[in-house]
Amino acid sequence: MTHEATEAIAAQVRAARASRTPLRVVGGAGWMDAGGPCDAVERIEAGALRGVVEYEPGDLTLTARAGTTLAELQQVTAAHGQWLPLDPAGSATGTLGATIATASWGPLAAAYGTPRDQVLGCEVVTGTGDVVRAGGRVVKNVAGFDLTRLMVGAWGTLGVITEATVRLRARPEVDETRAIVLGGAESIAHASRWMRTSAFTPLAAELLSPALAAAVGVGAVAAPVLLLRAGGNAPMVRELLRAATSLGDGRALDSSVWQRLGSGDGAGTTFRVSAAPARIAALWAATASAVERAGGTAQANLWRGVVRCIIPAAGTTESMALLNDILAVAHPAALVSERGPSWLWERPSSDAATAALAAGVARAFDPDHLLNPGVMGRGAHAPPHPASHAGTA
Amino acid sequence: MTRSPATTEDLALTARLRAIVGDRRVLVRPGELRAYESDGLPGYQSRPSVAVFPGTRDETIAVVRLLAELAIPFVPRGAGTGLSGGSLADGVVLLGLHRLSRIISIDPDNARAVVEPGVVNATLTRAASAYGLHYAPDPSSQTACTIGGNVAENAGGPHCLKYGVTLNHVVAVTALLPSGEVVTLGNADGEQDGYDLLGAFIGSEGCFGIALDVTVSLARDPQAVRTLLADFGSVDDAARAVSGIIATGIVPAALEMMDNAIIQAVEASIYAAGYPADAAAILLIELDGAAAGIDEDAARVAGICRDAGARGVRTAADAAERARLWQGRKKAFGAMGRISPHLVVQDAVVPRTQLPSVLAAIQAIGERHGVNVCNVFHAGDGNLHPNIGYDSSDPVQAQRVHDAMSEIMAACIAAGGTITGEHGVGLDKLPYMDALFSPETLAAMCALREVFDPERRANPGKVVPVHSCREWTGASPARAVARA
Repeated sequence: MTHEATEAIAAQVRAARASRTPLRVVGGAGWMDAGGPCDAVERIEAGALRGVVEYEPGDLTLTARAGTTLAELQQVTAAHGQWLPLDPAGSATGTLGATIATASWGPLAAAYGTPRDQVLGCEVVTGTGDVVRAGGRVVKNVAGFDLTRLMVGAWGTLGVITEATVRLRARPEVDETRAIVLGGAESIAHASRWMRTSAFTPLAAELLSPALAAAVGVGAVAAPVLLLRAGGNAPMVRELLRAATSLGDGRALDSSVWQRLGSGDGAGTTFRVSAAPARIAALWAATASAVERAGGTAQANLWRGVVRCIIPAAGTTESMALLNDILAVAHPAALVSERGPSWLWERPSSDAATAALAAGVARAFDPDHLLNPGVMGRGAHAPPHPASHAGTA
Repeated sequence: MTRSPATTEDLALTARLRAIVGDRRVLVRPGELRAYESDGLPGYQSRPSVAVFPGTRDETIAVVRLLAELAIPFVPRGAGTGLSGGSLADGVVLLGLHRLSRIISIDPDNARAVVEPGVVNATLTRAASAYGLHYAPDPSSQTACTIGGNVAENAGGPHCLKYGVTLNHVVAVTALLPSGEVVTLGNADGEQDGYDLLGAFIGSEGCFGIALDVTVSLARDPQAVRTLLADFGSVDDAARAVSGIIATGIVPAALEMMDNAIIQAVEASIYAAGYPADAAAILLIELDGAAAGIDEDAARVAGICRDAGARGVRTAADAAERARLWQGRKKAFGAMGRISPHLVVQDAVVPRTQLPSVLAAIQAIGERHGVNVCNVFHAGDGNLHPNIGYDSSDPVQAQRVHDAMSEIMAACIAAGGTITGEHGVGLDKLPYMDALFSPETLAAMCALREVFDPERRANPGKVVPVHSCREWTGASPARAVARA
């Protein structure tokens, strides 16, 4: 019943385990230059696992091999008026497996959530060489412990994703985009409040720094631009756009702007800074101009409270100083690395007890640290779980 | 499990628990423990050795650390409304958490709340309503069940079709591991980085520890709501209407089906909702969101129902009628309980296009075994709740019910489905785990459990069959159990 290509990967992992050979898991190779430290010797080519395994449009679910590209999935589902509403930055040759492994998402997450919300199940080859089928193919499932959620965002360190089932959505009947220039901090705060209190949920509400707005063809502007994407039936979209005029005058844009935004990443150090959603205006103030002054760009998901920054690959000292300044001003905020030199990845992201738990998970699924060793940073190499509190009560 | 007389160790444990929580919060006498012998599923009964009810976070930590010191297994319990036998404690310590019932904070700007695990689901929604917010997951037991229990079971409810299940609404948890250690899972101040330990914890059925506090996101109350009642002359027509609605891409807030036996039971109870008594099936369909466009969607949904053969479609005229229609649905199991002494409820999920054929198969299985299978379920998710009322004191009847349910589960698995969508595995669905998951997958689940609880003392014997917990050797072992 297991696909023979999956068995081949399992055999490769078992052989690597016998010879203690660390492996680099490669899908479309789009993240190879992400810069995360990885001490692998051999490659596992998950990108060769191509194709849709099962797609029943009436179920709004789809199962595909992990190396299937997002572009292929969009093509297959568009024929039935559906889509996988995941639009992470990067090339359209990005694979389903890599998107899940890196938990990547884009502007549409405002309405549809992230891979965590959309993956229903997956097949993985663990570091023990076992084929594990997590979750299922139905939209609701609590049978057993949730191995699927563990695989989302694990960067392949707990298992090589070989296949996944995702939830699809119908494409909205009407899908319109407006560019609204937001001059000044108060209008960003107002837009954020509007997002959180309006009766409407836009498909996306992405704030672009002026340089980024210019780069994706919105035009030369001196202030940040809100790209607002409204989808649904015609009366709803009309009313949403009417309500959004309170944010400023909107200019209609073709939806191709979203492709340009997603594929426009140049080289550079890329990271996301996030906080509780209502703090987005303050977070933006702490990041966007500093990043633009350093020659970079910033974009924010107003709904999720996340600012994504790209800064030129300049000197390490300057970049580190900039990031430290941002985090100091934005505190309390979280940092997620997307692409950059090793210093970016080595920052501890959780407290010691939680890191120890994460290390335990890594040991359970990959006891010999064979899969993408080092990619998860310190967590996966933390010391063993501390002794229990027995006797300390 | 046979109870031996209290040993010296038992007495020492009791004394130490009383020193932590006070005398009245530790129960040991059989009469006092009887209330904790079962949960919402009446088919299972077992008595804990001791029941302890801490009233504060510190008391809870002290109790769990004491149990760790003494290496004593325990079973966490919220309101005991679970439908899978998950909170039964067979001769071990039952740790009741309903007294931890403080809403610690509500942050309307971020649409978040921080609550203790014993806060009742509906109480949270009531508290949030002052800000035009609500807690979206709405299990039918929401007036009694607790957020801690919801987290343990990854609870759903009718409105999860549009809004998602518990997993999609929990931002962070402060978890007390069985070792007594306290860890933060998830992140309330931004994105979570690293492994999704929060995602693993949610739905772990009390096996990974206890949530000391839970940060949830709250949903905005919709500007407009339309509740439709569609009346069908056949179950098959209703099932086809469900597929038709899903296929349009309109996502109703809820899309529920009830068959005639359920309608009859509800209408004969104090929860009578005005359902058409002669309908073979009804669909309760709720649309919500912005006022703009909602009537267009409602008209389209009504049209699909009529095209599928609905005898009539009506819209609730006001909030009172809507509440009545929903109360009938949410109290359906209660209404069934009036008719038979025992009720067995399943929780399978099937692909939505399979609903017509699976419902027909369930009907045929029931007829073959001479039992009356009733259906009330979350049709929009394909989440079936076939249920059979019976008298468990009649062994012949009990066997027929058991055989029919086993066949129904096999049919749902064969249709590409799963054995539980929101009730959890607990004890009740353990026998089906081998049919659904490979030995390797079950072993991975066991390995994950042991990361959180190396001694497997938290809710022992639940969720994953014990025989699955082999060592991970990396070699595929001979299959211990033939797959169904």
